[in-house]
Amino acid sequence: MAALIEILNASFQYRPRHTEPIQALNNINLTIQSGEFIAIIGANGSGKSTLGKLFNALLIPDNGTVQISGMDTHNPGNHAAIRTLVGMIFQKPQDQIVATTVEEDVAFGPGNLGLPADEIRSRVTFALSVSSLTDYRNRPSYLLSAGETQRLALAGVLAMQPLCLIFDETTAMLDPAGREMVMKQAKTLHRQGATILFITHLMGEAAQAERVIVMDKGKIVIDGTPQQIFNQNIEEIGLEKPAALAASKMLQPFIPSLPDNLLTKEDLFNHIPRYEGHQSTPSLPQKRTMSVQSIITASNLRYRYMLGTPLEHQALDDLSISIGSGNMHGLIGATGSGKSTLLQHFNGLLRTQSGALSVAGIDLSNKKFDTQSLRQRVGLSFQQPENQIFNQYVGDEVAYAARQLGHSGTLANAVKSAMETVGLDFFAYKDRLTYTLSGGELRKTALASALVTKPDILLLDEPLAGLDPLSRREVMGYFKSMHEAGLTLVFSTHQFDSIIGEMDAVSILQSGKDITHGTPANIFSANGSKLPGALKPPFASELCSVLKTNGWPVPEGIIQINKLVEVVAEIIKGTHV
Amino acid sequence: MSQFEYLRRVSIGQYLPLDSFIHRLDPRAKIVGFISLIIAVSISNNLYSLALALLVSLALIAASRIPFSFAIRGLLPPLPFLLLIATLQLVITPHAETSTAVFGIWKISIYIEGILSALRLLLRFTSLLLILTTLTSSLSTIEMINGLDLLLKPFQMIGVPTANAVLLVQLTLRFITFLALNAEKIAKSQASRGAKWDMPNKNLFNRVQQILPLLIPLFTSSLRQAENLSTAMLARGFASNTARTSMHTYHFSLRDGVFLLLLITAASILFLF
Repeated sequence: MAALIEILNASFQYRPRHTEPIQALNNINLTIQSGEFIAIIGANGSGKSTLGKLFNALLIPDNGTVQISGMDTHNPGNHAAIRTLVGMIFQKPQDQIVATTVEEDVAFGPGNLGLPADEIRSRVTFALSVSSLTDYRNRPSYLLSAGETQRLALAGVLAMQPLCLIFDETTAMLDPAGREMVMKQAKTLHRQGATILFITHLMGEAAQAERVIVMDKGKIVIDGTPQQIFNQNIEEIGLEKPAALAASKMLQPFIPSLPDNLLTKEDLFNHIPRYEGHQSTPSLPQKRTMSVQSIITASNLRYRYMLGTPLEHQALDDLSISIGSGNMHGLIGATGSGKSTLLQHFNGLLRTQSGALSVAGIDLSNKKFDTQSLRQRVGLSFQQPENQIFNQYVGDEVAYAARQLGHSGTLANAVKSAMETVGLDFFAYKDRLTYTLSGGELRKTALASALVTKPDILLLDEPLAGLDPLSRREVMGYFKSMHEAGLTLVFSTHQFDSIIGEMDAVSILQSGKDITHGTPANIFSANGSKLPGALKPPFASELCSVLKTNGWPVPEGIIQINKLVEVVAEIIKGTHV
Repeated sequence: MSQFEYLRRVSIGQYLPLDSFIHRLDPRAKIVGFISLIIAVSISNNLYSLALALLVSLALIAASRIPFSFAIRGLLPPLPFLLLIATLQLVITPHAETSTAVFGIWKISIYIEGILSALRLLLRFTSLLLILTTLTSSLSTIEMINGLDLLLKPFQMIGVPTANAVLLVQLTLRFITFLALNAEKIAKSQASRGAKWDMPNKNLFNRVQQILPLLIPLFTSSLRQAENLSTAMLARGFASNTARTSMHTYHFSLRDGVFLLLLITAASILFLF
């Protein structure tokens, strides 16, 4: 029997007008058997999504062949049958929704297959229940949250009952619960016999696959089991080891009984040995005290979207918050918890409906406040930078706010210094077309354009989402230096594992309310149970509790892996002395 | 309150999943009924007919349980233009030589013909907007597609690609909300960096100047989105040469017939006078 997917010497070029062709795929050879669970990883622009589109004939290779169950994608007559076999879910859920209500969108695919009405109805009911959207059946599709829209996109593909599903960075914009749900569904479908191809930036997800394909510059560079892949030096091509594996490597010198191939959290937690040594808890170095002088204070904010329409819904519910000057403050919550709404209040894009708000000494509850001086002092970088960039050239994009709001020194210098703060070389990038930028470059351009007026406060809406590991590390480094330079940074995020150690304070939001706040060490140690279900404590604090239950005298309040390793080292040293 | 919530201001093109008599009707009855009403209102030039048309459109809104505030809000954006045209009508409508000026402002005399013409215009457009709002709020896109599909089937036999025409209608409607949401994102991004979006701006020239920088990014972002959407549609088996089917089977019942008959009667009355 033919393999499910068979690719021979396939190459593909994008040919944009006016610029050089881009070689996206270069001589790919790949065989995928029915029933495999494969993760495809690689840096931004390495060709993962292009490869995915070859599998269901959305792109046809320039050279070489792609065969799906023996059907060649070069023959357009095969496309309908191929797309029935291979379904694909894309990164931006909202761009995949065809119809204006949930159930009708799910029915679009089966309708294209020409199925009878009864069959379509039963498939829609099934797909909605698998994606837990049954209660949303008649909702307008464009008013769902990001997570719900992603579930709808999945339901739309499931209703076609494909043999093979491609998830193209489907989890990038989801909160931890949403990501876990997508992964769980992929695994369930796999158990039922489906072939799964999971394209992802998150190494923790890739580690759960049976086989991992690593791409770099349009080529498959490594193809093997997760164990084989992650024991190689993949940092060189902009990737990183899964958190559990990285932690176990760091702990191995002190806990030699840890095996070599602990890829998932569960694996690592199950291999933590009991500690039988001396019970003395090492003390933690004191973190520098955080600012007590607040620069943003809000009390009893309430906000409702679509006010006065049948689609009205509440986003902020009696929320009070105070953010210290010069702090890095995290707003942590699931999608739909009110983080973005709150950030947009802080620079006056959304006006207070009730409650009091003061930012940088300006009273925003007063309807006639000076918006221009507020926006000069408060920069905002939105979720999904491609939506906020509206100029053709990077230089103009960064200069926009300076032109509107004024700047110190010459415009060119203001733009140059903003770009350099985030590592964009002024001369190399100022004349680049914004639509040719990669994910990481887009994010940096968006940051530079918010920094150009030299604000006192920078508001960041999910600044790390959708970035590959290398860009994530880079961007985080810039945040650290801005923080050290005294800028107040307010983050909204649900991917906080890597940045949490830098934060001075966090507020946990749920359904538009501040359910708890304090230093990250306090929030994530003793009362981790207070976290809403959609969020996970940082990996380090999870590992801490596992160590503790195994008798290790680790102190409270560790939220970073390197701190945890230091502590473990000290405990081990103490026993031997 | 946000001046950026454009979706809140668009009432045409937003399906409201309510449970009403009108919502449950066969899409064919709704499409034919409403379209004949729309044609009649567009053509009719009788003041009493147009007043009746307004009553009919209000009755339709009530029957479909759409909140009046929602329907009225949709009238507000085009209102300045309507008033402007109505004012022009007041002044420029030709009058019979025998008619005397009702009143005069400065050097302009207003005649009864002008007043009636302005009134007709306002009545006509108000009714049209209300009818369109009712139609789009009670007819979901897929219902519209399936309804049009069924109605146009005879043309398919003579080789007209009706399926594509129908899909075009569907995507246009889908893009109304796309555009409103995209415009919101771009305007917010510009405002957060100092564009004066949220200042009251009475000067028409300044308003135009403000809208231009929004239009180009709106086009490019919408084109990008259209490309993504068409990829997603292809991936879900669209254009696969199989005849599209629907999850709904429609039965043209007595109720649908009565509704259609009522609307066509109303349309004929408007039309005949």
